[in-house]
Amino acid sequence: MSSESPTQAEATDPANGEPELADQPRRVWITAFLTTFTTVFLAELGDKTQLAALLLSAQSGRPVLVFVGASLALICSSLVGVILGRWLARVMPAHQLERLAGLLMVGLSLWLGRQAVVHLTPLPSDLLQG
Amino acid sequence: MDLALLASTFVTVFLAELGDKTQLAIVTISGTSTRPGAVFAGSSLALVLASLLGAAAGGSLSAVIPTDALQLAASAGFLILGLRLIIKASAGEAEARAAAEGEQAG
Repeated sequence: MSSESPTQAEATDPANGEPELADQPRRVWITAFLTTFTTVFLAELGDKTQLAALLLSAQSGRPVLVFVGASLALICSSLVGVILGRWLARVMPAHQLERLAGLLMVGLSLWLGRQAVVHLTPLPSDLLQG
Repeated sequence: MDLALLASTFVTVFLAELGDKTQLAIVTISGTSTRPGAVFAGSSLALVLASLLGAAAGGSLSAVIPTDALQLAASAGFLILGLRLIIKASAGEAEARAAAEGEQAG
């Protein structure tokens, strides 16, 4: 992977603000990997993608093929996300992008949290309707 | 190989994923990280594993795993990442302003 060998520009990037971490590119890589893996994995559990994949596999009777198709689609969609993120990092000032990304993450957090809480403890109005 | 089935699965899942909260998260993490390769590897593996788990559980994943509690944990993770980014952005901006003022003074 090309990101294994960081360039000098990346290592001394002032926007990064963490020059001491540049000494351990492998650790930075692993940290980024684990952060992404954990958040995406937890957020994606029980999501609609699985639902679509499951429906297709139940109808077709070819679960392996459906799984391969779904996996390829997921990998492509995360590639699109990564490329979009790099493009934004190129065209936007670092601070502005960081603030926007931070706000977006807080928003996603509130939305995810609300969804989980509503699931765990249904509102009285939901009970009345059901 | 049933290419039609493969293609229909691919298109269905790909379209369902576009603009999804997960993809938004990947965009934000990738945009603020210097390791796009790690972000790509981590998110791909997480997505594939999550759907493998879903398929293995046969649609009743919430009966096997406390998915709501895990989503709550993910929500806390996003909150921490988001707040850290906002703090970092403010600190970086203050630093840049101080540097610019220093240049003007000097």
